[in-house]
Amino acid sequence: MTAPGHPQARENRSGLVGQSVRRVEDDRLLTGAGVFVADRNPDGVLHAVFVRSPLAHARITSIDVAAARRAPGVVAVITGAEMAEMTHPFPPFLMLPGLYTPLFHALSADKVRLVGDPVAVVIAESRYLAEDAADLVDVDYEPLPTVASIAEALSPTSEPLWAKAGGNVMMDHTDTFGDVDAVFAAADRVITERFDCPRQSNQPMETRGSLVEVDAATGHLTIHNATQSSHLLRWAVAALTGKQRTTTALKRFITNKQRRRAFFAGAKQFVGTNRDGLKEQDNAGPLAQLKKDRSFLGHMNKIAVGLLGKDDYPTVKAQDIGGGFGSKGPVAREDIALAAAATSLGRSVKWIEDRTENLMDGGQAREESLTVSIAVDSDGTFRAMRVDLIIDQGAYPGFPIGAPLITKMMKVMFPGAYRWDAFEIRSRVVATNKGRYIPYRGPWANETWARERMIDVVADALGMTPAEIRLHNMIGADDLPTSMVTGPSIDETMSTKQTLERALELIDMDQFERDRVAAAASGRRLGLGIACYHEAAPGPPEFWDCIHPGTGMLTPEEAHTTVEADGSVLVYTQQMPHGQSHETTYAQVAADELGVRIDDVTIVSGDTDRTPFGFAGTGGSRGGPIGAGAVRTTAREVRRQLIESAAGMLEASPDDIEIVDGNIHVAGVPARGVTVAEVARRAADDGASGDLHGAPFEVADVYNGAGDGGWSVATHVCIVDIDLGTGLVTFPRYLVVEDCGPIIHPAVVDGQVRGGVAQGIGAVLYERTTYDEDANLQAATYMDYLVPTAMEIPEIEVHHLETLSPGENDFRGVGEGGMVGAPAAITNAIEHALGARVTTQYLPPTKILELAGVIVPG
Amino acid sequence: MTADRLAAEESAGGSIVDVALTVNGRSAPVRVEARRTLSDVLREDVGLTGTHLGCEHGVCGACTVLIDGQPARSCLLLAAQVDGAEITTIEGLAEPDGTLHPIQQAMMQAHGFQCAFCAPGFLMSAVALLADNPQPTRSEIREELAGNLCRCTGYQSIVDGVEIAVRRMNGDSSGGSS
Ligand code: FES
Ligand code: FES
Repeated sequence: MTAPGHPQARENRSGLVGQSVRRVEDDRLLTGAGVFVADRNPDGVLHAVFVRSPLAHARITSIDVAAARRAPGVVAVITGAEMAEMTHPFPPFLMLPGLYTPLFHALSADKVRLVGDPVAVVIAESRYLAEDAADLVDVDYEPLPTVASIAEALSPTSEPLWAKAGGNVMMDHTDTFGDVDAVFAAADRVITERFDCPRQSNQPMETRGSLVEVDAATGHLTIHNATQSSHLLRWAVAALTGKQRTTTALKRFITNKQRRRAFFAGAKQFVGTNRDGLKEQDNAGPLAQLKKDRSFLGHMNKIAVGLLGKDDYPTVKAQDIGGGFGSKGPVAREDIALAAAATSLGRSVKWIEDRTENLMDGGQAREESLTVSIAVDSDGTFRAMRVDLIIDQGAYPGFPIGAPLITKMMKVMFPGAYRWDAFEIRSRVVATNKGRYIPYRGPWANETWARERMIDVVADALGMTPAEIRLHNMIGADDLPTSMVTGPSIDETMSTKQTLERALELIDMDQFERDRVAAAASGRRLGLGIACYHEAAPGPPEFWDCIHPGTGMLTPEEAHTTVEADGSVLVYTQQMPHGQSHETTYAQVAADELGVRIDDVTIVSGDTDRTPFGFAGTGGSRGGPIGAGAVRTTAREVRRQLIESAAGMLEASPDDIEIVDGNIHVAGVPARGVTVAEVARRAADDGASGDLHGAPFEVADVYNGAGDGGWSVATHVCIVDIDLGTGLVTFPRYLVVEDCGPIIHPAVVDGQVRGGVAQGIGAVLYERTTYDEDANLQAATYMDYLVPTAMEIPEIEVHHLETLSPGENDFRGVGEGGMVGAPAAITNAIEHALGARVTTQYLPPTKILELAGVIVPG
Repeated sequence: MTADRLAAEESAGGSIVDVALTVNGRSAPVRVEARRTLSDVLREDVGLTGTHLGCEHGVCGACTVLIDGQPARSCLLLAAQVDGAEITTIEGLAEPDGTLHPIQQAMMQAHGFQCAFCAPGFLMSAVALLADNPQPTRSEIREELAGNLCRCTGYQSIVDGVEIAVRRMNGDSSGGSS
C-alpha cells in the first residue's frame, strides 16, 4: 500500500495503518451499549420544550405564560425577554469586508424571523407535560411581510429582517484575481449560464441535544452535548451565559489571583502562537460592521469582562454522537438557552430536539444562485471565469461559521483543477425568513457543482466531449509546481488529472454507447456524467490565509500521548468523533508509531476537562491530516522517550533499540527485552509524573500540518438510466476514483466516500427543504423531506490512487469529497441522458419528465 | 424523579397504568403514563437505551424492536398497547454469555456502520428479515431494509453485513470474504 522507502512505509512498525482492522467502537455500538446524549437520564432531570413561532415574520406584541406556569409538572417558563436579561447576544464572530452580522439572542423577544423561531422555553417534570404547557403559552403576533426567496431578498422594497442591515443583503463583496476584463475581451467566446441550488439539510439520524447537569454544591455545569466541537461550546456558554454586571465581573477578576494568572498565561500563549495571524487581520471587516451597528462593541466588552470575572467554565462532554455533517458544529441558540435555564434553576435540564425542529432550524444548506461566465478560446482553452454568487443564509446567521466564510471558501476553490488567466467572484449573502444556513459536508461544494456543470455547457457549445475539454485544461504533472489563480500552491498531491485518466480507463465507452441505443428503444435514456475536484485536506500551508487572512491560526491542533504506569497508552485529542471511527484509526496510527498492540491504545475525546484545547473539533477534513498528524508526532516522541529510558535497563544504545508488540529490545534479540509496562512502571516508581495527566510518560505537542502537501482529489463518473414513463432515475454504475494519499483504514475511507455520494444522490433526486411563498416550511417531517433509502442508493465503486507527498504526515482528509463530486456528476449525466439543459440541482421525477418533454411545466 | 412525574401527570388529568412487559426474556413490569410511548418506556423506565429515536413519526426505523417476534416501530406504539408482550431489543441479541448474534458479528466484519445511531433499527429489521427469509438475495435485502434510514453509510456496507450474516447463519462459518 505504501511505497518502500517512503517515510510512512518506514514508520509503519506494527503494520496496522493500511488495514481494515476491527472497529474499536463496534463493541459498544452494535450491542446497544453506546451512550448518546439522549441516553443520559440522571435522577431528577427536567425536560425542556421550546415554544416556537408559527409565523415566518412577525412582531411579538405580547406573550402570556401565566397558564403555562400554573400547569402541572411545570417548574419554569422563561420568555425571550427574560432570557435576554440572563444572556448576552451572539456577537459577530468573523467580520469580513462587506459583511454585516446581526446580533441576536438565544430566544426571540420582540420579533420572530422564521417558522420555528424560539420565543420561550418550558421546563417540566416530563417532556409530555412540558409539551402540554407549551401549548398554553399565548403569544400575540403582528404579521410582517415575508421574504421567502433570494429574488425577494434582493428587492430593495422587501421587508428587512434586521433593522440595522438597511435591507436584506447582508454581504456584498467582490474578489478579483488577474485582469479579468482584458482576458474576457481577448477571448474568442464568452459563455454564460445561471445555476440554482435549492435548500437542503444535513439531517444526521441523531438530532441535536443537550443535557446540562448542575452541581448542587458548586454550581459547576457539565454539559453533555452532541457537538462537533466541545471546546467551542464550552467557551460559547461561558461567554454568553451567566451575565453579570461589568463592575462585579471586573471586581471578581481583580480579586481572584488564580483566575488572573490563568488568563494572562492563556493570552500570552495565544498571542505568542498566533502572532502572524493576528497581524494579518485587516480592519475592513470590523469597519463594515461598525458602519451599520456599533452595538457589538459594547456587547463584546461585556462578554470579555464577563469571561474574566468567571472562576469556573462549564465542562462539555460527549461519548457517542449520531452523525453531524456540519450541523453540530455551530453553537445553537437552544444550547445557550438551556445552559442559562439550568443555571438559573440550579437543576439539571435536558433537551433532545425532535425531527420537526431539526428540519425547521437544525441546520439547512446549499441554497445558492450561481451565474457563471467562462471566457474560452475556440480550441477549448479556458481563459477566465466570472461568477456571481448569492447565498440565502436564512434568518439567523450560523455561529461561529455561516454563509459569509463559505463564500470565501468557494472563492478559493471555484477555479478547480484547471488553468485560468484570471478569475472574479462577486459574493452576496442575503437574509430570508428560513432556517439557519450552516456548513454541510463540503460546505463550498456548489463551486464544484456550478463549475463542472458549466464545463459541460462550454464543451457542448464547442463541440467537444466533457472528457476532452477537461483533459485539455486540467493542471497535470507537467505544470508543477504551480498555484491556483486564487493563490494556493499546487503540488503532486493535486492528482485530479490522474484520477480522471484512471476513471476513463475504467469505463467502456463503446459498451456504454451500445447500451444507450438499446435503452432508447425501450423508453429509457442513459447518460454519463463526469465531475472532477480537489479539496484542501488540509491544503498547503497558505491555504487558510487565501480564504481570509488570519484564519490560518485555526489550523494547528494539539494532541497528548501518554503511557500509564500499567503500560497502557492514552491518546487525547480535541477531535469529536461522530461516525468517523477515530477510536480505531488514531489507535492504528499511535500503535504503529509506538510499536505496541492496538488494544494497548485508548483514544480519549469529548471531555473538555481532559482533552487539549481546540475550537476546530471534527470537521473540515482535518481528522486525517491534522488530528492524526498530532497523534503521530506525539506518539513518536513518546517512543523516543521510552527507548531512551529502556536503553539504561538494556545497557544498549538507543539507536539499536526497537519496540515490537510492546516489547522494547535490541534489534534482533526480542527475548532479552523489557516491556513498555515495565519501563513505565519503573519510571512511575522513580517519580515521573506529567503535568497534564500525571502519567510517567507524557508528551503534548501542537501539529500544524504545514508543509505536508495536502490536496485530496477525485473524479466521479456515473451512468444514469432514466425511465421516461415515471421520471425515475437509477444508476447502472457509479464510480469514484479518489486520491487521499496513504489510507489508514480502507473500509472507513470507502464508507466516507459512499456516504458522501449517497447524500449527493439525495440532494439531486429526493431532498428539498421546501418553503411556500410566505416562507412556511413545507417539509417538516420525513414524509416530505425524503432521505434516500437502501432502494435508492446504488452500489458505489471506489478506486484509490494513494499518491504520496513528501511531507512527514501524509494522511489526507476524505470526509467531504463524496458530497462535493456527486451532484455535479449526476446532473451532468442527466443532461447528457435527456439532451436538455440542467440548471437546477434538484431534479425530482416531475422535473425530469419536464426536461424530457414528456410533460409540460405546470 | 418518576414519582414526581407520575404525580404531575395525574394532576394534569392523565391516567397511570401498570404494564407487564417481558423485555429480552426478563419480566419488566412498569407503572407509567397511559400516553407514554413504548420507546420512551423502554429507554427511560426500563433503562434500555439501545433502542434509538430518529424521527418519532414512524419513518426512520431507528426505534425498531421485535414484539412477539415481529418488527415494530416503538415510537408509534404506547407501552399500554403491548401489555403482556415479549419484546426484544438490541440489548437482547447477544447470548447471555456475551457471544454476539451472527448479525452483530457480520456487521463488525463488514464495518457496516459509522455513527451507528441507526444500527439498532437495522439489526432488529435484519433479524426479522432473516427469520422470515433465511436466504435473501442482495436486492431482497435492500428492499427489506428500505424501512430504515441511515445517513452515514450509503447502505452498501450494511447490505454487505447482512449478506455475511446470511452466509454465517447458513453454515459458512467464515462468513466468506467481505
Ligand atoms: S423513531 Fe420510530 S420510526 Fe423514527
Ligand atoms: S451509521 Fe450513522 S446513521 Fe447509520
